[in-house]
Amino acid sequence: MLEINNLHVKLEEDDKVILKGVNLTVEAGKVHAIMGPNGSGKSTLSYVLAGRDGYSVTDGSATLDGAELLEMEPEERAAAGLFLAFQYPVEIPGVGNMTFLRTAVNAQRKARGEDELSAGEFLKIVREKAKALKIDAEMMKRPVNVGFSGGEKKRNEILQMAMLEPKMCILDETDSGLDVDAMKLVADGVNALRDAGRAFLVITHYQRLLDHIRPDVVHIMADGRIVKTGGPELALEVENNGYADILAEVM
Amino acid sequence: MALAAQKSDALEARIARLDRPTAGWTAKARADALARLSSMGLPGKRDEYWRYTDPAGLNLAEAAAAALFDAQGEAPPFDGIDRLKLVFVDGVFDPAASDDPALAGVEISLLSKTGGADLHWAQGLYGTLEAAGQSPVARPFAAMNTAFATEGVMIRATGRAAKPVSLIYLHKSETSDAILHHCIKVESGAELTLLENGPAAARFSKVMEVDVADGGRFHHVRTQGRDHERRAITHIFARLGRESLFKSFTLTANGRLTRNECVIDLTGADAVAHVAGAAVGDGDFHHDDTVFVTHGAERCESRQVFKKVLKNGATGVFQGKILVRPGAQKTDGYQISQSLLLDEDSQFLAKPELEIYADDVKCSHGSTSGAIDETALFYLRSRGVPESTAKSLLVLAFLAEALAEIEDEALAEDIRSRLEGWLSRHER
Amino acid sequence: MGALDNDTALEVREGVDRETIETVQAMAGKYKYGWETDIEMEFAPKGLNEDIVRLISEKNGEPDWMLEWRLAAYRRWVKMEEPRWAMLNYPEIDYQDQYYYAKPKSMTKKPKSLDEVDPKLLATYEKLGIPLKEQMLLAGVEGSDEPRKVAVDAVFDSVSVGTTFKEELKKAGVIFCSISEAVRDYPELVKKYLGSVVPQSDNFFATLNSAVFSDGSFVYVPEGVRCPMELSTYFRINAENTGQFERTLIIADKGAYVSYLEGCTAPKRDTNQLHAAVVEIVILDDAEVKYSTVQNWYPGDEEGRGGIYNFVTKRADCRGPRSKVMWTQVETGSAITWKYPSCILRGDDSQGEFYSIAIANNAQQADTGTKMVHLGKRTKSRIVSKGISAGRAQNTYRGLVSMHPKATDSRNYTQCDSLLIGDRCGAHTVPYIEVKNNSSRVEHEATTSKVDDDQLFYCRSRGMDEEEAVALVVNGFCKEVLQALPMEFAMEAQSLVAISLEGSVG
Repeated sequence: MLEINNLHVKLEEDDKVILKGVNLTVEAGKVHAIMGPNGSGKSTLSYVLAGRDGYSVTDGSATLDGAELLEMEPEERAAAGLFLAFQYPVEIPGVGNMTFLRTAVNAQRKARGEDELSAGEFLKIVREKAKALKIDAEMMKRPVNVGFSGGEKKRNEILQMAMLEPKMCILDETDSGLDVDAMKLVADGVNALRDAGRAFLVITHYQRLLDHIRPDVVHIMADGRIVKTGGPELALEVENNGYADILAEVM
Repeated sequence: MALAAQKSDALEARIARLDRPTAGWTAKARADALARLSSMGLPGKRDEYWRYTDPAGLNLAEAAAAALFDAQGEAPPFDGIDRLKLVFVDGVFDPAASDDPALAGVEISLLSKTGGADLHWAQGLYGTLEAAGQSPVARPFAAMNTAFATEGVMIRATGRAAKPVSLIYLHKSETSDAILHHCIKVESGAELTLLENGPAAARFSKVMEVDVADGGRFHHVRTQGRDHERRAITHIFARLGRESLFKSFTLTANGRLTRNECVIDLTGADAVAHVAGAAVGDGDFHHDDTVFVTHGAERCESRQVFKKVLKNGATGVFQGKILVRPGAQKTDGYQISQSLLLDEDSQFLAKPELEIYADDVKCSHGSTSGAIDETALFYLRSRGVPESTAKSLLVLAFLAEALAEIEDEALAEDIRSRLEGWLSRHER
Repeated sequence: MGALDNDTALEVREGVDRETIETVQAMAGKYKYGWETDIEMEFAPKGLNEDIVRLISEKNGEPDWMLEWRLAAYRRWVKMEEPRWAMLNYPEIDYQDQYYYAKPKSMTKKPKSLDEVDPKLLATYEKLGIPLKEQMLLAGVEGSDEPRKVAVDAVFDSVSVGTTFKEELKKAGVIFCSISEAVRDYPELVKKYLGSVVPQSDNFFATLNSAVFSDGSFVYVPEGVRCPMELSTYFRINAENTGQFERTLIIADKGAYVSYLEGCTAPKRDTNQLHAAVVEIVILDDAEVKYSTVQNWYPGDEEGRGGIYNFVTKRADCRGPRSKVMWTQVETGSAITWKYPSCILRGDDSQGEFYSIAIANNAQQADTGTKMVHLGKRTKSRIVSKGISAGRAQNTYRGLVSMHPKATDSRNYTQCDSLLIGDRCGAHTVPYIEVKNNSSRVEHEATTSKVDDDQLFYCRSRGMDEEEAVALVVNGFCKEVLQALPMEFAMEAQSLVAISLEGSVG
């Protein structure tokens, strides 16, 4: 589903090279995890795939079901089925959470040539999905992410994911800042969305999220490359021995 | 100090062709205003109060021509609102287009119709608040307006007005130069909503004196007309009695030059005054909000909320002041002025002031200027919202705090939809 | 009232520590520096004219170019009008009823070293607590066990009495001397930079200063040098009816660093005295200057009699890329303060900071703030201003933040807080914000409030009297600025805050 080939990326501002040839294939129905120490380029990878400004791709490609992602505008990538759950969800004062969600859902439906949801239909679906994530009506009325706790922000991301029904979901450090209960809630939300037509790329620094979202494949990223790939046992190895051993072994 | 000869010559030229009635109940107020004006002279670019706005276009003896705006069939503002309409064409009252000015709880008369009489209830009001508002800062155009106004409405609310009074200013002559002066008295316990819309003239001077007695409530919503080349200088002078309420909101889109001055005097305890504005400008647009709120009594609340969205070289100005007099304890004063610059050519110039002579007060102001939040824009786009929609959403969110100052839902919705329309027409 | 049971919770505001409380409690007396040194003086005749300008120049042994520069300024000044836009109310100043030059007779023959300086003068500085011996300082601040050196230039009325640590500084390549010496010994540097930041024509008071400045300090830190110690100048006005017009010029060459401190006091007198200084700072590529002031000129008495009229022009020009300046000021003295230390952020990526505490008590009036002029790309500025008004005083923050069209991607943050103590004083905020490009972000916030009654009560329930409690709370209010001061000054400033507020309650 997601195919990344020899991806090289540098920061526009100071020419610093962050990704130095990333190769990665994620198949439909699978959960891949990317682990790695701070500064290895994990978050950059997620931002580049989602189309954030400030990065320039110097080489390589990334395709989603064969379509070249890197040439699309961010909203086109979203319409194509890519979703990024942000590590730091953005606060947007003045824009109601409900308005935000409805605008997004209808924009994507429109882009795919589907009819917009009526207000009633939309409300019904949101309520149902919000309930599962313990997001109350009050939270839906507030401006997007403004005054939300860390856990509320992450739950809100998962709600968006549930509403937008993307096929390729990237979770960027979704576990950061969450206590155990909140992490469980978020993981349940993600697991509920797992199906044969959908793939996940879970980016995390620690193994603990992977106790709740069991990955099929684990990649270790360091210095802008994927340096090792293995099964779930690789995550446990990191948990027990840290990154140093693995890095020493591959570098 | 004698006014420089040059300044007084310019003033002579400016008022040479204006007509000042010397009989009737406004005569004395007009003569006093002319005396005030003569001692002040016309403002110049070097005057501190005109630091950010060049008054040249307002000083010219003749109004520069302003092309008429074609709304292309778009519904006028407040179209769906049940209201009493009074229509002015280039500053002249149009009785045929207006509703019968009979409304329960309200007395309405016209300056031109009552001017010859010796007595009128507005006699103690016409020019009075304007004169009081000349200190500490001179406002020559307001004095000129009092002296030379040709028309205006005198509205006295004695109870709860059954529906809003709506003043509609049509602009049909490319060189019209209109001077209107309204007096509004909201009696104790009464309530009135006043709507205004339209460009009025190529050059428009308007003064509105609003006297809100104890417990009175006054709401004001206006849109200033989208004629690209019009120039306007408007003043609101408001005096607020005990436990009274004053709320004013202005939407300005386009216009070569707009200066809206609002001078509010909180004279009775527990009074509340909110003045807000949203301005959107594209291109040769200069918009100036100049506000002066004086807290002269205890426990009053004031809010100033001004937001400007500027592009293609548009200029936004905010000069706002909260003055808290000695003894005005427990004052709650708030002021925010913000601009969103959509491109690199636009500019925002602000002077948000506090002058405080009482200690038990809570006063604050904030002012920001910047571009659209790229992170928020990306966040929206990453959720599939197209860039233009995302931008509109963020601009409306930016303006939301000002729009929230409109209490009436239907009016707020009307303004919001006009803003949405403007934004969609002015996408790059 | 549960909190009152918790005896360990003596933190009134975050950051106010026990040490502060002790300092505040230990404070006694009012204006501490109001005494006068009885010393024989030599005055130029009262009044100002070209002859006086010539005389000042001659007394300083200046070359012709310097005299011409002064005369040009004087000729311009006589055509200028005193600015009156500040929120300051004071009687007209008679510029002809002032002495423009006064120096101790014993200084007529310039002493070769500090050992030769009149003991009376040395005693004056000792009494003021200013070290004119080249001694190590042990600032009584936690974490400062390292002995620190501070070089001092002491200016008494119109002349520099002496400068310490000159030789040691010279070894590092740093020039630190009085400006009159610099005119003689380093004419090329002075010619190049004098008036290049604050031009002669800048404003009425700066032009006056350009004509009649008598002394002041000169600092040059050469390329790549980090000045090995703090530099300071201590200004003392002693003689009656004498204006002090010092001029300071600081140049930080590429990559240089220097921290500079300035202190000022004057005797108590019933008449007002004029002080019109100019400070110019030139900062080249990658260089950094910190300039800290504790201004404690005599503020006048409770009734507003006497006190210094303080009209000061201070400006730093961040000429080079990545240059940086930080102004920190504690303004507690003077009857009238008119002062706006400014930053011209010309170099790309240059930075300016302004931290200010201004306290006005009794009949004092202060109109002070800063200008941040952003010209270069990605320039940053930060303004933190804390104004405290008490008695019948008026305290105004006046500031300008200007983002020029070319200053793209720049940033300003301004926080202006005012505190009112008592219902007869005033606190005012007059910011000017001018943004002419859209990639820059400007944020301004200001608040005005009174001293918190709950905090006062809390302090008093712990045994402090009302004045101590106020001083403590005010110190907390000012903490962010106090922390920006070098530690030598921080303690002094804290106690000064308390002294300045004497009599503000009750």
